[in-house]
This record gives sequence, structure tokens and C-alpha cells, in this order.
Amino acid sequence: MKPKVAFFDFAGCEGDQLQIANLEEEILDLLGQVEVVSFREVMKEHSDNYDIAFVEGSCTRLQDEDRLKQIRKNASIVVAIGACATIGGINSLKNYQDTDVVKKIVYGENAHLFDTYLARPIDAVIPIDAYVHGCPITKDEFLHVVKSLLLGKKPEIPNYPVCVECKKNENVCAFEREEFCVGPVTRAGCNSCCVNEGTKCWGCRGLVDNPNENSQKEVLVEYGLSVDDAIDKFKLYFGWEKKK
Amino acid sequence: MHTLSKEAFNEFVDNLIADNSLDVVGVKSKGEKFAFGPLESANQLRLDYDVTLLPPKKYFFPQRETLLTYDVASGFQAKDPKESKFKIIIGVHPYDIMALLHMDEIFRETKSDPYYLERRYASAIIGVNIENVSESCFASSMGCATIDYGYDLMLTDLGDKFAIDVGSHKGADLLNKYAKDVKKAFARDIQAVGKKKTEIINASKQKFNFSSELIPEMLGKFYDKDGFWENHSDQCLSCGSCVLVCPTCYCFDVTDNPELSLKKGERTRTWDGCLLEDFAKVASGENFRNTRAARYRHRYFKKGKYLFDRFGFVSCVGCGRCSSNCLPDIANPVNLFNDMYSLSLKAGFQIDSATIPDISIKTDSTIQFAPKMATIVKKVPMTSNETMFEIKLDDKTDLGHQPGQFVQVSVFGVGEAPFGVSSSPTNKGSFELCIRKLGNVTTKIHTLNEGDKIGIRGPFGKGFDSEFLKGKDLLFIAGGLGIVPLRSLLNYVLANRKDYGRVMLLYGCKEPRELLFGEEILSLGERDDIEFKATVDWCPEDEVWTSNIGVITTLIPQVDFDPQKTYAVVCGPPIMYKFVIRDLKSRNVPDDHIIVSLERRMKCGVGKCGHCQINQVYVCKDGPVFNYSDIKGVPEAL
Repeated sequence: MKPKVAFFDFAGCEGDQLQIANLEEEILDLLGQVEVVSFREVMKEHSDNYDIAFVEGSCTRLQDEDRLKQIRKNASIVVAIGACATIGGINSLKNYQDTDVVKKIVYGENAHLFDTYLARPIDAVIPIDAYVHGCPITKDEFLHVVKSLLLGKKPEIPNYPVCVECKKNENVCAFEREEFCVGPVTRAGCNSCCVNEGTKCWGCRGLVDNPNENSQKEVLVEYGLSVDDAIDKFKLYFGWEKKK
Repeated sequence: MHTLSKEAFNEFVDNLIADNSLDVVGVKSKGEKFAFGPLESANQLRLDYDVTLLPPKKYFFPQRETLLTYDVASGFQAKDPKESKFKIIIGVHPYDIMALLHMDEIFRETKSDPYYLERRYASAIIGVNIENVSESCFASSMGCATIDYGYDLMLTDLGDKFAIDVGSHKGADLLNKYAKDVKKAFARDIQAVGKKKTEIINASKQKFNFSSELIPEMLGKFYDKDGFWENHSDQCLSCGSCVLVCPTCYCFDVTDNPELSLKKGERTRTWDGCLLEDFAKVASGENFRNTRAARYRHRYFKKGKYLFDRFGFVSCVGCGRCSSNCLPDIANPVNLFNDMYSLSLKAGFQIDSATIPDISIKTDSTIQFAPKMATIVKKVPMTSNETMFEIKLDDKTDLGHQPGQFVQVSVFGVGEAPFGVSSSPTNKGSFELCIRKLGNVTTKIHTLNEGDKIGIRGPFGKGFDSEFLKGKDLLFIAGGLGIVPLRSLLNYVLANRKDYGRVMLLYGCKEPRELLFGEEILSLGERDDIEFKATVDWCPEDEVWTSNIGVITTLIPQVDFDPQKTYAVVCGPPIMYKFVIRDLKSRNVPDDHIIVSLERRMKCGVGKCGHCQINQVYVCKDGPVFNYSDIKGVPEAL
């Protein structure tokens, strides 16, 4: 029997589910392996009877925790997809400011009508079985994780920085192009896609297990950033990880 | 020596490109930098480059390559190493040529690597003397700024023409077939080349303050130097850039990549690096090189000492790529070794150049990456986490192992993992593995059943010398899963009982329910030709245990033995060795009477991929069974 899968979204842009909806040829092969019972972007039907839940988006409200816990209860495997779900994502940028100020900026006079708290990845609320990192996720890594889970294997996600992939791809280092890159502390697995295209790494896959952040900051300063600007480079995606 | 005008040279290159049977690559610009890439026209060549981002190694040992394909229905199919096209690589600097010569030795040793070597055979190297020396190049300090061999053709830019030195028949054939107007060099051309080479040697901005021949000896004195490695590696990002761009690094990892059908897939090898955090981590979570300093030191020792001891060369050619690619600027060997040298002078170390060891590089066969198919014929759960699998090779041959050797087990789509064989070679027709559920491969194997197929490579490594041990008293000391490889020897000894002296077995595990080979082991207590004692670390209230309680070392005082006649055979978790060996030594057991079997992350099984390396020793090839006297001086071993 094919495992039943369902997709859920929390605070996020749904761009990761869009990547999956865009799988093109592979989508038929994928549907040969799993049965999709809930996927808001591509179908109307919904069922709470599923084995694998893919969760996109970060948790930004207390009342979202109940929905996450229910998903955890229903599914035997929960997979976080995309930076918001895996590391808190750019939603965590708001964590640097007072919540009331943030509410005021976004909702103005109606701020009192809305609840919000520190944006957080879903593993801050429920235990997670696997991660598909990235902003957005890549199709290849999504399929890699799905295949691993179907084989009963813990998906192998690199615990080394993006530099490894840049070197293998023979990229000119972003620093040599006068870009400020956080690839040296960011978890690889994206095949250094941003640097391959001539830009830099922003850190959307989160930090490696043991980043040498002091060294990274010194490198940023050495290449011309002020200390404050160097620290800022860690804020875009590492907001939740840094608050921990 | 010959010469070719620049026009004639371009025509030569364009003729090579026009031949569809050839794959012509050369140095081109990439942004502000340079890289080897496919050539569409001779005009793309930038032979005035300083250094390329990656060395030409990538054409022989690519970043990622398929080793085999598999199909659950039909098994494993090794990839044919034959190359479809002959490759011409234009513009290789002398240091990179030297690096390829180092790689040739490494990939030829013991088990040769068919993929690397076939690509080397099916290629020609057109070298070029350095026009612009890069900022971080120290090739002259390593004696690699110029070279007189290892190429098929060697170019030197003489302004309006290239001087060409023919280094092989292959090179001569290329000139004869594809070049026009090749002229004999005049004496003044030959002199110009000589002058240019001298200039190149003198142009290095980065230099050692000492002779590079001192490196192996000097390193030997610095292994434990207080704070030295920590200070140099404090800013290390563990990003692996230094080793990934290195022309002589060759560590790799192997993974399975299933298709979405899950029925078929391929096994690929990719570049890996000993500077990366998880490089020496095993499935149980133990990381045998856990600190930045230990990994950083390993890189220098591997290049500067371990490979020297094995092959007689320091495996660095001074290209300077590690240095220019290190963002915190801590990877420059010139800074490190000059620092080491000045500290040596201050400390008054006497450093003489190390004598080159006796080298004999033996190539007995080729690495077989494709496993043989095998069938699980029996599956016996031993504890909640460990299961015994009896396995038969589908070609009906015997495994042919020595006690203590290991095999690599493949599970389709999940990958390969090493396991010590737990049965005696006297059991014909099949062999046994006792497997603990820990990582991906072991977890998956536990879901397989009798009749299911797996792949087997091996046996690998050095096992116990059961011949040598004949007539000796044997003291087996096993902790936890350590009983598995020891059982292979123990059962062999019991099957040939009269050939051996006293046999004693001390076996400990955490708690009674974790006892492996329960009935078989406990029944040993009833035999009068073996002295058997067991212990558990503790016994929970719901379990029964009537024997000793305490760690394994509490059993040692309970046996009486003659240390001169007894050989102790020890296997257990990493923490156990230190204490067991300490207690054996206090009982006057000589070092060379202690035999240990070690666990590391064996990946290739043939001493190439680097994962199981402990200092200079490869556990997969030199072990897993070691005489303690051989490894007591190997700091990472125990």
C-alpha cells in the first residue's frame, strides 16, 4: 500500500509547496510511490488520514501549536520543508524587535486584534523526523528526502558548509567578487546554487552543527564590513538559531 | 627540443579540437580567475595564467562519479572504466604534473583504482612552464616549480613561439599528426628555456626558511607540541576548502542514489575531506577526530609524514591553492612550517632530514567496487537491537575469510557498511554477521528477511594470525559487540582445540538482556577445555544474573595466567581498551602479547578513501586486527 502524504502550511509564502507542484515529469513517478491526500495548492480534497506530513512555514502564534500537535499525532513521519519550517526563516527577523512594535508596523490601528509571538521553526513545537532545508527547497533534495523515507532510511543532510559545494563546482569565491557571503557557516545541500549563479550565500539552510562564527565574523570584517554589519549578515536567516 | 610559432601552435590546438575522437580541454579564464574547461578554439587558451581554481585532478578523479549501477532484480553492475574519448589536457603547470605523479602512486598501491588509471592511460598532458607565479605559490620550495618528466609535451612561451619538449611517444605522435611547421630548436631557444626556468624558480614570493626535506622529521617532533595546532587552527571554519582544492588530496565518500522507483539506482563516489567535521564519525556517533585542531593537524601529517613514510614523498607540490582559498588565512603551509622551524630552532631541536623508508609499491589486483550477490539464509534475533544473519554467497563459493576480517555489506539504495565476520572459517558454505541496529544500513538490514538479497565485498583487512597463536595460551577479552569478531577466532580455536594451549574468555556487557550469543556463550561454561567468566555492568531488578557484576576489568584479577605464555585478544567499545590494556600490563603481559581489533568508518575497504585512517595507519588495510606493540605509538588509535 502506498503511504498517504499530506501538505500543511503555516507562516510562509508556500513557495516550497510550489516547488513540489512544479516537479513536472517526476511528479508522475512520485505519485507511483505515494498517495497525496491533502495538498491545498493542487487539490480540493482533504483527509486527516495520512502517514507522512510535510509542513511548510514557521509557527508564529500560540494557537498554531495545537494544529501542529494534531499533525504530529496523525502522522507517523513529520517533515519540515523550507527555511521557515526548518530554521524559522526570514519570519524570525521580527524576533529582533519588540512584538508590540512589530504588530503596530504590520497591522497599524488594528494591532490589538492579532496575536503573534516569536517566529520559530516547527521543531521548536513538535519533534520532527526529517528536514528539507532551503528558501525555497530544491526539487532534487525534496525527492532525495522522499526516497530515503520510503526506503526506511534517515535522509543524509550534509553537516558541512556551502564552501564544500562551491569548491567542487569550481566557483570563484564570492569574497573574491567583493560579495559578503555566509556560506562558510551555512549547511550545504543546495549544491551552492546561489553562488553558481554569480551571487552569494544568504544562509537559508541554517547553520552547520558547529559553526565557527567568530572566524566567519572576522572574515567579514577583514573583507571590509563593520562589526555591526557583519553581525547583521547573521540575522537574515539565523534569527531563531541565534536566539536559542 | 622543438619550437612552434604561436600561429602554428594555435593551428595545432585547433586541429586537435577538430578531431572528434579527442576531448580537448585547457586553461581558460573564469571571471578574474582561471579554470580547466572544454576548448572550442585555441583562442580561448590562457597559457599566461597563474593558477587554476581546481587542479586537473578533476579529469581523473572527478568530483562525482558513478561506480556501479544496481537493479534489485539482477544485482550490481560495475561501471566499465573504459573512456569513450582520448583526453588532451593543455596548459598543466609543473606542480600539477608532479601532483598527478603522486596520485598515480597512491591510486596504484595495493589495490589499483581502475577508473583513475584508465583515465590516465586515455589522456595526454600538454604542460606549460609558469608565466605568472601566483601570490601564494611556493612550488620552488617544494622543488616543483619546474619539472623534467611526467608530461607528454611541455611548452615554454618564448614570445613569438613556444619551445616544445617532447616527453613521450604519445606527445611525439600528437605533434606528428596534428602540428605543422614544427622546427628543431636553436641553441638560443634551449638557453632561453633554461633561463626562463631559473627565473620561475626564483620568482616564488612564498618560501620556506629551510629545506623541505626536513618536513617529515620536523612534524614528527611536533605532534603533541603544546597549543601549537590549537593556535594555528583556532579560526578554522571546517569548510574543507584547503583539501578540496588540493591537487594531491584523494579522500572520498560513497553513497547510494536510488531512482524514484526505488528498484534501481547507482552508487557514486564524491570528493570528501578530512577537515570536515563528520569525516571520522562512525554510526555509533563516536567521532575519532573531534576537534578542529585534530583535523587540521591530520592534514599536515597526512601530506608531510604519513604519505612520506608510505611512498617516500611529501605529498605537497606548493601550488598554494589551500592558502589562497582559506578565508581566515590559516591554511598556508609556508606560514605553518616556517613557524614550526623557528620554534624548533628556539627549542634547540636537532632536525636532520628523514631517511626515505624502503618503499615497495605492490599492486596485486584492482579494486572491485561491485559487490557479489548474497542471500540471507537465516535471521536470528539476539537482543532487541542485535540480530544474527547467516549469509550465503549466490555464486556458492566460500567467503574464504580469516577470523577477524570484515566484509562490506550493501543494501540496495541505502549503501554499504563494514561488519566483522562472526563465524569461524571452519564453517563452510555460509558465514555469519551479528549486526547492531545503529545507522541507516544496519536499520535497513533488520527489516530484511530470510531469502532477501544483499551485496557482499571482501573479506578485507588483516585478521588474527591463527597459525602464529598455535600452542599459545589465549585470553579473550570481549566487551559488548566486541564478542562478534572474537567469536570468529574463538570458534576456530575450539574447532582446532588441540592446537592451542589454555583458552580463557572474559565477556562483559551492559546488562543481562544485552548478552550476545546467549546460549552458545553460556554453554561454554560447561566445557572443561575453556575457562569462561562473564560480567554485566549492572542488573536491573526485572532481570536475572548470578555471575559477576562490574565492568570488564573486574574479571581480569579473577583469572590466573602466565603472562609470558599468554596472548590477550581484546575487542570492545573504544573506551574499554585503555583500561583493559593498563590492567594487562600491570599483570606483566608484554606489549606484543596484546592483540586488539579496532572499529573505524571503513568505507572503501582498500586503504584509499581515508575515513578509517588513524594517523598513518589504515584500519581497513593494516587492521582491523593489530598487535598492540605496533600501535601503542599511534596516538589516535586507542
